[in-house]
Amino acid sequence: MLQYTIRRVLLIFPTFFLISLLIFVVLNVAPGRPGAGAGGGGGEQAGQAEQESYRIFKEQFNLDKPIALNLRHLTDLAEVAAWVDAVRAAPGAVPPAARIDAQERLEDYGLVLVPHLLVLLEDADPERQRAAAAWLAVAGQQRFQNDRRGDVVAAREANRAIAAANQEIKGWTWTAAAPAAEVEQKRAAWRAWAAAAPDRLEWTPAERVEMSLLDTRFAKYWQNLLLLDFGVSNIDRRPVLDTLLSKMKYSLSLGTLAVVIAYIVAVPLGIFSAVKQGTTADLVTTIGVFVLYSLPSFFVGTVLLRIFTEGDPLALFPTGDFETLSAGPMTTAERLGDIAWHLVLPVVTYTTGALATLSRYARTGVIDVIRADYIRTARAKGLSEPVVILKHALRNGMIPILTLLGSLLPTLVAGSTVIEVIFNIPGMGQHLYNAINLRDYNAVMAVLLASSVLSLLGILLSDLSYALVDPRISLD
Amino acid sequence: MTEPAARPPVAEDPSWVDLIWVQFGKRKIARGALFGLLGLLLLAIYAPLLASNKPLLWRVADGPLSSPWLLSLFDRNFFENGVDLFFNALLVCVSLLGLPAAWAWRRAATLPRAARGARRARLLLGGIGALLLTLGLNAAAPQARPKEVYPALQAQLEAQGTPVLAVYPPLPHSFRDGVLDQARARPSAAHPLGTDAAGRDVLVRLIFGARISLTIGVFAVSLYISIGTVLGALAGYFGGRVDLVIQRLIEVVICVPSLFLILSVAAFIEDRSIFHIMVIIAAVAWTTPARLVRAEFLRHRNLDFVAAARAIGYPQHTIIFAEILPNTLGPVLVSATFGVASAILTESTMSFLGLGDITVPSWGQMLNAGRTTSEWTLILAPGFAIFVTVSLLNLVGDGFRDAIDPKLRR
Repeated sequence: MLQYTIRRVLLIFPTFFLISLLIFVVLNVAPGRPGAGAGGGGGEQAGQAEQESYRIFKEQFNLDKPIALNLRHLTDLAEVAAWVDAVRAAPGAVPPAARIDAQERLEDYGLVLVPHLLVLLEDADPERQRAAAAWLAVAGQQRFQNDRRGDVVAAREANRAIAAANQEIKGWTWTAAAPAAEVEQKRAAWRAWAAAAPDRLEWTPAERVEMSLLDTRFAKYWQNLLLLDFGVSNIDRRPVLDTLLSKMKYSLSLGTLAVVIAYIVAVPLGIFSAVKQGTTADLVTTIGVFVLYSLPSFFVGTVLLRIFTEGDPLALFPTGDFETLSAGPMTTAERLGDIAWHLVLPVVTYTTGALATLSRYARTGVIDVIRADYIRTARAKGLSEPVVILKHALRNGMIPILTLLGSLLPTLVAGSTVIEVIFNIPGMGQHLYNAINLRDYNAVMAVLLASSVLSLLGILLSDLSYALVDPRISLD
Repeated sequence: MTEPAARPPVAEDPSWVDLIWVQFGKRKIARGALFGLLGLLLLAIYAPLLASNKPLLWRVADGPLSSPWLLSLFDRNFFENGVDLFFNALLVCVSLLGLPAAWAWRRAATLPRAARGARRARLLLGGIGALLLTLGLNAAAPQARPKEVYPALQAQLEAQGTPVLAVYPPLPHSFRDGVLDQARARPSAAHPLGTDAAGRDVLVRLIFGARISLTIGVFAVSLYISIGTVLGALAGYFGGRVDLVIQRLIEVVICVPSLFLILSVAAFIEDRSIFHIMVIIAAVAWTTPARLVRAEFLRHRNLDFVAAARAIGYPQHTIIFAEILPNTLGPVLVSATFGVASAILTESTMSFLGLGDITVPSWGQMLNAGRTTSEWTLILAPGFAIFVTVSLLNLVGDGFRDAIDPKLRR
């Protein structure tokens, strides 16, 4: 048992790694530009300043890097020359998609382009030289340090120096009408710049392997993840983990309340239905449970909201929110009462969904056990029916429904998007909903990863609890 | 020499499929639910016959008799959605070939088993061929577009004193174009369930919504059943390293919070259509059939009939797909039926949250409109439509599950 537990716990880590890779790749390859809603856009009509701010935004969130495998260091001269020509070609000469693609590549590839662009700088065609210099001014830009954990003052100092260097090389471009002397002077500046640090243009095979695997969006994300840094939101630039944790209490209180109530109702209902198997009472219960099972929770929620809130037939409850928002000072008891009053409808909605599944499991569990020999023995030795059912049958009959608790863990903590959106409860589900609508990648990743961890733990918990309560199951 | 006496016909053992079919037929509720589903399918197919703003028959004065409705069925401008064009083609095929095909299907029952299977397979292929042909003709044919707004045209002509013959479907409204001055109408004779905020008839949209829901359910489930079956079969049959890799993959996908992932991916897709939605649903749901099929393969792969097939020298793909796979059909069929129900629920949840295809009349989207306007008809009508569809599917699924369970045989 201990060995099994240890093995299972250790297995969580590679599984989590694969899950994060899967989610990351899926979210990143989904068509649609990451961060399109934030950071100043960067469309074709965007001005110079917006282009620049979108570039910095992309850099900050590593969106200029490939998703999981970086083979950009294999780019050769011919490709780079083709891209440079595609971007500077006359309108109509190149399909727009090819032009945009070439431009994005030249903007994103960075240092790996520099050696090829330096070759193009020596090209016979002066227009090509000019384009090469312009792209060198982009590709040669050094990245700012985005580390929010280290020494902030030193980082700011370093960033200031980087900004100055970047500003300087931006000046080494020229217009088509520039005199030959200016062109020659600027080309000389580039040559000197390249000669000053030859090592930044050469990569050893080991460095190339490292670049392929580690200079990617996913690797950068995981480096931070290992330090429990989920990044900052691209909406409000606050750490997404803090926001997430602050949302968790709402979802947790709603979920726990609903699941506890669902168990309290479902278990007796299931036992009742099982004991009276085949009678009209059982039929009525089964039909009722079946109806609940097929009712979508958003329908239940909407109907409840329509019936029981202000301005409607039975104005008993508020239309949403977790508590009264603009209330004056309240005592703890008053506040709890206020929250309970707000939570009645969401909890009822939540419970109807969980109740159906749980009572089905409870009924099946008890029915399976009630025909067992040991129950007949218990009856034969004269035990009263309640004792037989509640003491003997229940213990084994409840095994499936107990282990179900583990699989409920993710919904318990992460909440339900639908219910939280309908009742405007600021929990994790609604947080996710808002984040996906604002294209806040880091926040979405954080919610998805957090609930993956919860389901990993939930599955582990349910396997272990199964082994704990049922001695027939041996895990070793 | 006398002719040898004709042998009395030998009663065939019922095949496994027959057995299940008989068992299923004995469950009255499930059988009723299956008929209900059939009705729903017919409703989806014949939706334009019930509701369209194009007249079935149209004649101005003594002019030629025409049917703008028939032309509109193939109008890629009016039925801009692929789903509707598919169902319209289905409408044509079912109307023309449905009865003869059903008759031929029943008649095949009198044939011996081998011939019966072949006959029915030919019928099925022929049906699919006819459908594809109709779709192809539709795509190739030049577009005839009845552009006129017929009710308005009729009123105008009649005001001029020109006699007009116009026969409309029972609900002469479009599912797509609303009449703005009739927005938010209460239920009336013209609009049995009222209209929505854009002036579109709620009942008409409800009927056309059946097309969307059924398509999503059936196609998403077929897609993921195919993926899951192949992966599960490979894992179960080959075992070892293949099994390990596929098992890991299943484990990873199971742990991903599926609804959260579906919502996120859907939100990040620009111009999402219901085809995107089907693919997304399939991408997270294939693990259930994969696990089922894997377990069945593990059970079957060491049985005698497989050893015999190997000894005869059957190629591996024949053993996997023709010998073992049919044995796994029962559980897969049951899980597919429940799968359709849950795919429909997932789609309506997505549309309810505004993350579905906003160009189609989806039930979830209608309910969302009802939530924001708190219009009773807009809440109850789509809600009940979802509830009824999901219930029917769950009842049929329960029926299949009981029918294949030998312990519950009646």
